[in-house]
Amino acid sequence: MTDAPTAVTVRGLTKRYGDVLAVDQLDLDVPAHTVVALLGPNGAGKTTTVRMLATLEVPTAGTLDVCGFDPVTQGHEVRSRMSLTGQFAALEDNLTAHENLVLMARLRGFGRARARSIVADLVERFDIAEFRDKLIKSLSGGQRRRVDLAAGLVVQPELLVLDEPTTGLDPRSRHVVWSTIRELVAEGVTLVLTTQYLEEADVLADQIVLIDHGRAVASGTPTELKSRIGEQRVDVVAVDSAALDRLVVALDGSFEMSVARESRTISFPAPDDTSDLARIAAAVRAAGVPIDEVALRRPTLDDAFLALTGQPLGDDDPSDDDPDLAHAHAHATAGAPA
Amino acid sequence: MSTTSVMTSPTASPAGEAEAPGPTPEVRFGPAANAGTFRRYVRETSLLVGRSMRMIPRVPERLFDVTLQPIMFTLLFLYVFGSAIDVPGMRYQDYLLPGLLGQGLAFGVMGAGAATASDFSSGVVDRFRSLPVTRLAVISAQVIGQMLEQILGMAIVLGLGLALGWRPDLDVAGFFTLAGLILLGLFAFTWFGVLLGMTFRSPEAVQGVGFATLFPLAFLAGTFVPIEGMAAVPRAIAQWDPISALVAAVRQVCQGTDSSGSWQLEHPVPAMIGWCVLLIVVCVPLALRRFDRTPAAN
Repeated sequence: MTDAPTAVTVRGLTKRYGDVLAVDQLDLDVPAHTVVALLGPNGAGKTTTVRMLATLEVPTAGTLDVCGFDPVTQGHEVRSRMSLTGQFAALEDNLTAHENLVLMARLRGFGRARARSIVADLVERFDIAEFRDKLIKSLSGGQRRRVDLAAGLVVQPELLVLDEPTTGLDPRSRHVVWSTIRELVAEGVTLVLTTQYLEEADVLADQIVLIDHGRAVASGTPTELKSRIGEQRVDVVAVDSAALDRLVVALDGSFEMSVARESRTISFPAPDDTSDLARIAAAVRAAGVPIDEVALRRPTLDDAFLALTGQPLGDDDPSDDDPDLAHAHAHATAGAPA
Repeated sequence: MSTTSVMTSPTASPAGEAEAPGPTPEVRFGPAANAGTFRRYVRETSLLVGRSMRMIPRVPERLFDVTLQPIMFTLLFLYVFGSAIDVPGMRYQDYLLPGLLGQGLAFGVMGAGAATASDFSSGVVDRFRSLPVTRLAVISAQVIGQMLEQILGMAIVLGLGLALGWRPDLDVAGFFTLAGLILLGLFAFTWFGVLLGMTFRSPEAVQGVGFATLFPLAFLAGTFVPIEGMAAVPRAIAQWDPISALVAAVRQVCQGTDSSGSWQLEHPVPAMIGWCVLLIVVCVPLALRRFDRTPAAN
């Protein structure tokens, strides 16, 4: 079981709260030792899905297999093999970081001395020492997330589930959390991650599953999805349409570009971000045309949804959706068995 | 702010890997994965109770409802209103203090409810429920932790009462009867509070509902003034008010005072036991069921 090829298999997973369909016929495969990101907006059903994996919710319908066990009937087996860290699995505010971690280790069944030595390792590894004895409520968001991650790793779980690990963090803390997660991934942990950030899924995941209205609307590797979403680009906004025309004439031939007249914007594909940005900025300056803005744009979650589903993000009333789309069950496994 | 600090190198060993090249299941998942059920339950419950106890000195305001509030009631009624209240045949201390102990049992609902609601809405309980910890241990710890807080509150009132001249008339049997009744009452009302906390999910809502229902019932219950002297309508309510049974039962055990007006006031001890058993029979299964299928905290 410890080397099961698939850590998570989900078929037709559905969760209904009264009239609200939080998760709708979701299929998901997470091969062992890979990272799968569930990417979607707030309320897409990501959290409900991982809560069902973690035995915190009972599905309305569908089958689940987590590390070889059924969360509904073999909850204890599942809980023994996975760790959950997330928005909704909180630390105790009025205990210190160290007390929280020791409690987690003790609750996993370790004796006092063993728990302390495990926690000492985690404190060092996650760089917690300087706020080890501070109450959780007095920590910054980034510090708290690190303690949170450490709390999930008092054991070496077969499956680690992180629910929105960087939501609400400033960019610097986000990068610290990302580098921690990448270390875990390098060690071979199987990870299911939920996020609202396309960039986060891109940086961390082997497979991305786009979720909206409780359904998997698209899936693939970050490279596959990016080729469908479009790469990042540089947008140049001219001050007026006369300037736009002069700019188009000046740059035509030397760059691949698309022009949006109504917004006076020229878009250039810019896969090499800074060097492309510099090249384009230099060409614009050489043209001597007055402009409002030159900016590097990364595709956002909205762009992804528009490109992959033809629907803008958060377009409500899923019942109006194309029925083919509604049943386009995404399999997170590359070449998952039918 | 220390978010600039760099993560330790990937060579730092993860938990448990240092001593076992191929980690045994125990190292991977923790010994909890295969310990005996009952021993595990006891161990986990005591760990979780320990967690609650450790927080008491850090969040003393959590205990205000079981400490400050009864102290206020004691002082207010003993020295402000008490002078105008005449209880035939006994000193006011001996009337008031048993009453406060009895009504304090019912007020335990608020503390237990607010603490439970706050644990549930913060996600702490979800964290525990996602661990390989018996779920009964999580909820048992909630109940035991709350009961211990209430006992602390009761001890404060008891001490204050004795210091201010309350003289309970207790022999050894009476003492044990009193202790038994108080534990039963705490158990029942704490479960009721835990159920309310899981239902309302916000400490403020629990406090609001608690005040709106408990306050009138507590003032009617013969805690502060004898029920016999009330007007007809409140008297009728008071005669069947469950808190009246608690108050009358504790008073009968402590001072040997009889009460009358309804069956429950004439037989306060059986009546109190009856109310408590009823609460336990209704609340425990509901709370356990709700606990196992509790919806998202948001």
